Amino acid sequence: MDTSNPAVFVNGELIPNFIGKKVRAVVQVNRCDGGAATAKSTDDCQLTIKGLPQVPLMNYIEVIGIAESSNSIGAEVWTDFGNTFDTDSYNQLCQLANGEFKSLFL
Amino acid sequence: MYSNSSQFDGNAAFSGGGFMPSQTTQSADPSFFPSKNRDAQALLPLTVKQIHDAFQSSDDKTNLIVDGVDVNNVFQVTLVGKVCNKVGRITDVTFVLDDGTGRIECNKWLQEAADTNVAEGILDGMYARLHGHLKGFQGKRTLNVFSFRPVTDFNEIANHFIECIYVHLYNTKIRVSVPNQQNVMNSTPITPTKGYQTQAVPPSNQFSGQQINGQKSVEDMVLDVLHFPANRARIEGVPRDLIAQNLGISLDKLMVAIKSLIEEGVIYEAIADHYKSTING
Repeated sequence: MDTSNPAVFVNGELIPNFIGKKVRAVVQVNRCDGGAATAKSTDDCQLTIKGLPQVPLMNYIEVIGIAESSNSIGAEVWTDFGNTFDTDSYNQLCQLANGEFKSLFL
Repeated sequence: MYSNSSQFDGNAAFSGGGFMPSQTTQSADPSFFPSKNRDAQALLPLTVKQIHDAFQSSDDKTNLIVDGVDVNNVFQVTLVGKVCNKVGRITDVTFVLDDGTGRIECNKWLQEAADTNVAEGILDGMYARLHGHLKGFQGKRTLNVFSFRPVTDFNEIANHFIECIYVHLYNTKIRVSVPNQQNVMNSTPITPTKGYQTQAVPPSNQFSGQQINGQKSVEDMVLDVLHFPANRARIEGVPRDLIAQNLGISLDKLMVAIKSLIEEGVIYEAIADHYKSTING
């Protein structure tokens, strides 16, 4: 059992707290320009995701990687979550997982 | 049993088997005996971090206690995470489950042909829902997997973690707040409670209430208004403006509470903007 490398649930608002750390976020990719994709987080913030290959646009993608700045993530692993995803629930989960219930996650 | 519908009815999902074995009769029963649930199989949704913390904090390494619940007597835990490092052998398959809060080793024994098919379906990098039993061996915790299912609707991931939070809250706050029924909770930690126990409080306080410390929530107050004898007598129901006026709250706040009560099946809209309670007086 190893809890040394957790990936924190983040949305656009929470990324600045975890710069340099491993994070996970679900984003909706709007544009893909070569190595960097422009995406919208679950709380409607614009984020840049680096290292994403060609992904289906307008699908929800879970990105796990290092938060490089307050609005960009360097993706290491990504998973296509399809286009039926409840961003509200995920957004609230991000807030709970970093707030009152942080001890269950980090 | 598990349905990925977008409408998550907490009352229906958590009652009648599943996470919290509750009795289907809703009557308040103050004479509650914990031994009634000894045979009830409880299922705990957990994060790997919770398992790790419980392991770290328990003195007796063979008896794992999570939020006051003895996990060794709780037969199953459920986890959702990414599969990594899968190694398939003839008799079993082992892999590591990474749920974002930590990693735990998992082991699934292959006893039937169906198991082998499932094992072949386990691929590195895929998200899966596991049900299993925590086992300890030489200080190492592993999960003995009974059921493995790939995640197809990814809302299940958010749902699982939200359930972990709910169940954590249930075990730490709601159970502690009824000390008369929980005769073990306030005593020594050596005798932990066995799994979930039914609450003697009526469901309206437990599920539709938004506050756990016993203060009346908006939903409870709406129900109180609908239960007034004069209002019960109204065949067409109570107009929402009247409810808002009675409680002195804004229409927006009232509609949020009404919507949630309707979703739980506690009230219904009789005619336009008039509401009646389904609970018998």
